[in-house]
Amino acid sequence: MHMSDALVSPTVAAVAGAASLVLLGTAVRKLRPARSGLHTDVLHSERIVPLMGVMGAFVFAAQMINFAVPGTGSSGHIVGGILLSAILGPWAALLALSSVLILQCLLFADGGFLALGCNIFNMAVLSCLVAYPLVFRPLMRPDATPGRIFAASVLASVAGLELGALAVTLETEASAITALPIGKFLLFMLPIHLAIGIGEGLATGALLCAVRRYRPELLAGTEPQEQPAKRRFVRTLAAIAVAALLVGGSFSWLASSQPDGLEWSLSRTAGTAEMAPAPDGLHRTAAAIQETTAALPDYGTTTAGLVGCGVLLLAAWGGTQLLRTRRKGA
Amino acid sequence: MKNSLQNALCALDALERNARAESPMHRLDARAKLLATTVYLVTMLSVPLPQLSEILLYALFPMATATLGGMRLGPLLRRSLAVLPFVALIGIFNLLYDRTPALRIGTLTVTEGGIEFAAILLRGILSMAALLVLIGTTGFYALCRALQQSGIPRFLTVQLLFVYRYLRVLLEEALAMSRACDARSFGRKHPALRVWGTLVGQLLLRTFDRAEQIHRAMLARGFTGRIPDCTAGKPRWRRADTAFLTGWSLALIAARWSYPVETLTRLFR
Repeated sequence: MHMSDALVSPTVAAVAGAASLVLLGTAVRKLRPARSGLHTDVLHSERIVPLMGVMGAFVFAAQMINFAVPGTGSSGHIVGGILLSAILGPWAALLALSSVLILQCLLFADGGFLALGCNIFNMAVLSCLVAYPLVFRPLMRPDATPGRIFAASVLASVAGLELGALAVTLETEASAITALPIGKFLLFMLPIHLAIGIGEGLATGALLCAVRRYRPELLAGTEPQEQPAKRRFVRTLAAIAVAALLVGGSFSWLASSQPDGLEWSLSRTAGTAEMAPAPDGLHRTAAAIQETTAALPDYGTTTAGLVGCGVLLLAAWGGTQLLRTRRKGA
Repeated sequence: MKNSLQNALCALDALERNARAESPMHRLDARAKLLATTVYLVTMLSVPLPQLSEILLYALFPMATATLGGMRLGPLLRRSLAVLPFVALIGIFNLLYDRTPALRIGTLTVTEGGIEFAAILLRGILSMAALLVLIGTTGFYALCRALQQSGIPRFLTVQLLFVYRYLRVLLEEALAMSRACDARSFGRKHPALRVWGTLVGQLLLRTFDRAEQIHRAMLARGFTGRIPDCTAGKPRWRRADTAFLTGWSLALIAARWSYPVETLTRLFR
């Protein structure tokens, strides 16, 4: 699910990056002890700093050990949002998972640098700050049976990954990269991530059961705290709102994608060089931004331009080779 | 055959080796390189998809910086190709959906969707190549320091350094465990989910133990939950950094606004 730079426009990357930065800043503020911090505050912080670091490294390593997906011959690995949240708590998990994503980008160029904001949002924010508190926490009990742990992990992982897949789709569409209408794109993304989510949930459940058996004190963070009834009500409302948004959002996009795609292909076959503005808001703003920044593409010159550019690049490559041999000789 | 753990360890080694090399690119301040790469990505990714030739022109930046940094172009291109599968999966729909003919080369008709598909792949390869050059000529510690100096909270950058430090340790531990598992599972490629759960659960327990050891070691050295500022010996911003950053930024922004390829081809007609 790592988005590459190729799939985002700078505007979308900036918006997602800003959202992720604000949330990361909040997480840092929540975890860093205040200057005149309470003693317990400091104790918590000094313990959480190394644990977060090592858990980040653990997720990184665990992602590279694949397990066989039964019946398909393929293999899968974990993303780790729910697992980290269950052990570290959501805010520390957000920081740990984000640092894993940043490292994957800065070490192995896995997921783009501009798309980093999108990736943190899709994979860390949505699973640690949305799926964990709204799905996993309400389902977990201090005396949960393994079955319950598995059920909670699977449901939370599926929710997190489906939300992530929805976000990937929306970001790609808002970047006006793909020609695929959003409804079909969702039909393609959501089932894949449903399967991935179930695998992720089972793996998370297996790990949480192991932790519970050997180190039950580490799961202390998942015990439901006594909450005033009002807050619980607010939380239920929020859960319903998320579900409604998810369902309503996907169906309305499905409904609107048909005329949108039709109009779009009509305008193409009619031979107008300019794209007709699509009826929905996202496309229109994206198209408006492109219109103001782009001269009209003129295909008469495309071939010549391609050839010219190719020659130029060849010459540049020759230049770099010359430079290299000269340096070697020196 | 190497598995992904071994590949990751090799990549980490290569990264450290490359970061210590000597070249004009290596001597530049990490902030200058980071900013120039960001400008590059923003300008390159904002070029509309149908203008393939303009995007092609942007290949000059990774080529030039890689050469300056003493990186070879062949391996760079090969590593950049790793981005293709996912990008092609999304981009292939443009190829299938948009079949308006755009240009002819001999008997071959290229559709507009084909051009967009090629443009998406090219964007993927170029952005990856630029990022790889940045990483290869800077190294992780310098990048982390650059992030911190440009305003990312110390709490987060220290977290990054922590993960980086223990990544190696845990990768080696995971490698030993998965090797032991391979030796006992008789040619099976991946362990079943139950075995995987035990295996990775074991790794998780070892991780906790290590975290506890680290915590005690940190306490013994006077850690109080606050992270000290350890950017002593900051690299100084030199004139070469300013020149590099402004030169490339101006060139890239100029290329974005003036469509040089199109203007030139018009001129020659």
